Amino acid sequence: MSDNDTKKPTGDSQTPPKGAPSETREAPGSTPKHPPAGAKLDTPPAAHSSPTAPPPPPAAKPAGPPPPKNPGFVTCTIDGKEVVVKPGTNMVEAARMVGSDIPYFCYHPRLSIAANCRMCMVEASNAPKLVPACQTPLAEGQVIKTNTLKVKEQQRAVMEFLLLNHPVDCSICDQAGECKLQDYYMRYDYRPSRLEGGKVMKNKRKVLGPRVVLDQERCIICSRCVRFMNEIPKEPQLGIFGRGSHEVIDTFPGSELNSNYSLNTVDICPVGALLNRDFRFRARAWFLSAAPSVCTGCSRGCNIYADFMGQETYRYRPRENEAINKSWMCDQGRMSYKYLNLGRVLSAVVGRQQGAGTARPEVARKEAIKAAAKALAEVKGMVAVLASPLASNEDLLATLTFAKGTLGAREVYVGGRPQGDADHYLMTADKNPNRKGLELIAAGLGLALKPFEELVKAIDGGKVKALYAVGTEVPGNVETFAQAAAKLDVFVAQAMNESPLTAQATVLLPASTHVEYDGSFVQVDGIIQRFRKAYPSKGDAVAHWALAAELTRELGGTAAWTTSREAFRELGKQVAELAQFDWDKASPPDREKPGINPLPTAADGRPPGYREFGAPRVRGL
Amino acid sequence: MADTHKPASPPNPEAPNPDIDAYAHEAELEAHLQTKRMYVNMGPSHPAMHGTVRMKVELEGENIASSDCEIGFLHRGFQKSCENVTWTQCLPYTDRLNYVSAMMNNFGFLNAVEKLIGLEIPERAQYIRVIGSELHRIHDHLTCVGATGMELGGFAPFLFAVEARELVMDRVAELTGARLTTNFGRIGGMNRDLPEGWIEKVHKSLDKVMELVTEIDGLLTRNRIFVDRTKDTGVISAEDAIDYGWTGPCLRACGVNYDVRKAKPYWVYDRFDFDVPVGEKGDNYDRYLMRIEELKQSERILRQALKQIPAGPIILDDWRIALPPKPEVYGTIEGVISHFKLVMEGIQVPAGEVYDCTEAANGELGWYMVSDGSGRPYKVHVRAPGYPILSAVPSIIKGKMLADLIPTFDTINMIGGEVEQ
Repeated sequence: MSDNDTKKPTGDSQTPPKGAPSETREAPGSTPKHPPAGAKLDTPPAAHSSPTAPPPPPAAKPAGPPPPKNPGFVTCTIDGKEVVVKPGTNMVEAARMVGSDIPYFCYHPRLSIAANCRMCMVEASNAPKLVPACQTPLAEGQVIKTNTLKVKEQQRAVMEFLLLNHPVDCSICDQAGECKLQDYYMRYDYRPSRLEGGKVMKNKRKVLGPRVVLDQERCIICSRCVRFMNEIPKEPQLGIFGRGSHEVIDTFPGSELNSNYSLNTVDICPVGALLNRDFRFRARAWFLSAAPSVCTGCSRGCNIYADFMGQETYRYRPRENEAINKSWMCDQGRMSYKYLNLGRVLSAVVGRQQGAGTARPEVARKEAIKAAAKALAEVKGMVAVLASPLASNEDLLATLTFAKGTLGAREVYVGGRPQGDADHYLMTADKNPNRKGLELIAAGLGLALKPFEELVKAIDGGKVKALYAVGTEVPGNVETFAQAAAKLDVFVAQAMNESPLTAQATVLLPASTHVEYDGSFVQVDGIIQRFRKAYPSKGDAVAHWALAAELTRELGGTAAWTTSREAFRELGKQVAELAQFDWDKASPPDREKPGINPLPTAADGRPPGYREFGAPRVRGL
Repeated sequence: MADTHKPASPPNPEAPNPDIDAYAHEAELEAHLQTKRMYVNMGPSHPAMHGTVRMKVELEGENIASSDCEIGFLHRGFQKSCENVTWTQCLPYTDRLNYVSAMMNNFGFLNAVEKLIGLEIPERAQYIRVIGSELHRIHDHLTCVGATGMELGGFAPFLFAVEARELVMDRVAELTGARLTTNFGRIGGMNRDLPEGWIEKVHKSLDKVMELVTEIDGLLTRNRIFVDRTKDTGVISAEDAIDYGWTGPCLRACGVNYDVRKAKPYWVYDRFDFDVPVGEKGDNYDRYLMRIEELKQSERILRQALKQIPAGPIILDDWRIALPPKPEVYGTIEGVISHFKLVMEGIQVPAGEVYDCTEAANGELGWYMVSDGSGRPYKVHVRAPGYPILSAVPSIIKGKMLADLIPTFDTINMIGGEVEQ
């Protein structure tokens, strides 16, 4: 141990950091009004956020330790840099604030502390041995060193043990390229193997549940997945079985990992042990680009990254948002990406399908817009409007403005996906991402919202002869509604996906999905969230708002907006809730690397080997 | 000056047309002197304009009133391309700088990256780099001397030079696997060792090469035509040369004793006994002589290096820098991780900037590099020795005869690849 042992905190001899409460001492235990500049811990780890623990009132203990330098906070030194944190903050989080990266596998800020990987051991001035940084709260005046020889030796030893029985799998492993073992090996070990003899063999493809498969050989028994299942969805379905080298993760006998949150275990798995059965072997991580987006599986609006290559979305991954989804998302939402790729309406069609299996004449979108405008012009004032809460704010603003201004509509029937199951955590029963947005916009534009059932009745009763549909998802039975729609004289539909209903459209216009343009949704709690474009629209599709603009112009109206930003800025003024929203500022950052970013060169949108946001870094948390 | 081309009177449609009428116009019977300046394009496709460079020459009679060098026909965006690939992947691009001595570019680049990381490469690798560099210096100078001879009317020296060059190329091909674009060496050392029996072969090849150099020397150095064309033509003073940023044999021909190998010895150059030839006048003849002498000095260095070269590793044993041996890659997880990370993300060069230079065949080959701590360069700038040298040509040649441009362009040895990048 160094001379740190004898070093005692110097008390008030140094000047406190700028902004720290000085002589005017507040009541013990209360948070100061002006916290010190260094104490910005925005997201205190759940397990250690106990700022309620009152610091000892300095005057009460004359013989005790010297009073804290910044009352109400803990002041200590990490790698020679002073750091001021809330009491109870662990060393990993504190070190991150001063730019020292302490490596870890098992620690996760949103889970309980296991301290079993031993990767985060650091030297502390008040302990004779190394201490696990994830588990140890900082003490006043403590001196932490994260890069001494002793610490490095420990990190090397841990890496060597972890890799000892790790299979030689990088070339076939889905995790390769975003694997902590790889990152840490290059940073903290970089030595050859000293293993003599064979590796321990375990089950390489243990199917844990409908969506997750486990490679037990790759597992480093960090227990993150077990703790996640116990603590976040509170469905304890995983456990650790066996001892020593035979220790494995598994489900309890007779049960399977079928929680709606099971795929989060794949995300938090620091290695390639837990794998997404849907994504497995479909793409290499370094070929995927990520666009910050929002999940459209339900009205929760979990923040996600849409990982894409070319014009295909391959997976959703949760993006951190403290207010909505923390670091998690549900499996159903995660699997909801498929409609972006499959069964898309890719070109415009004029005329109904004449029988099952018959080809419909595809026309250029421009021709179809002309045909639609001609048909709609004849029935102006008598057109019913069906709007889907799957469409974004921009889409709804533009299409409903068109419906009201040009078509003379006064009411809007609400379409969208049928209600589904809610669960106990994130998933809501409303499977549409923007119902709130539709309500706000309809109110702002002075349009009445009517339930879908009334539309069915009106068509059946012969009252509605012409329909303009923004999105063809319907809450009822599609087949039945398609039969009803066959009776319509004019049915102009803007659709993302093929369905029995789109077959009945007299004019079918291809619409973009939310990963194909920039826009925003209003989630269930009224939070407006921006999503970003990942790739250009497939086929001949354009966004709903752009189709509305084309129709407006064709019918002799003016639609000046040419981007979703302009559409929002111009039309959003009519809706009080949207007028407050700063469309540009709310945009999630696309790239974190400052300065000029290399332009995408390949079809996958980035130069080969280019990782998510420029400089390679350790994956996630 | 009156424009004599302007017709004295407006054209008269009735007047006899000299082109079709069967008698000469009276004006044509006067052989008046052409006083208008003539513009001649040399290149971009001209055998004497090595590579593809265009020289716009304004002639007054046979004298060059002014000239303008236009480069860029061989521009490939070298510096920008480097920013989009890993440090290791830049190496093949450096081959295409001075393609006549690719290994010197390779090693210069590697040396600069190693300086940025702070690496000391194994001794044997340093020797191999010296051997490769000097082989390619011989290769480069032979090309220059041979081409000079040929463009001044002597074909035999060119044939001798090409024969000698071919011998060097064969040895280079045995060493690197490629005749021209070698892509040899890796950050931290070399990618392969000397082939078996290669040292003996090089000794024998050098005997033959030096025989041929003696032949060329005998054919050119005291050749009346050659001396008349090169002596006192293309003269530049030492001060001007320094001001323009000249380096290498062209600068030494002006009498400035500056050679990076002596001024700032790198690798193991301080262990060899060799001389740096220095000229006096800075004319084409001196520049030619520099090269003939440097051929001999390179041979001296080579023979010493081949004799002294120690056994040992050829690349650092650090898996953050050098790829692990293949059995480790295929057989151990440590090896496969290291290989994966080095190939996919590149060597993690610490953030910082560096300038480093080596003595290439035409002078100081400088590298200014910036790293942001990732696996790819943030900036790679190369100071090609040919660039400042070429930029001085218009001032050297101003007022001189057009015929002097050829030997001047020959002896400065402009290489399109490195000048235009």
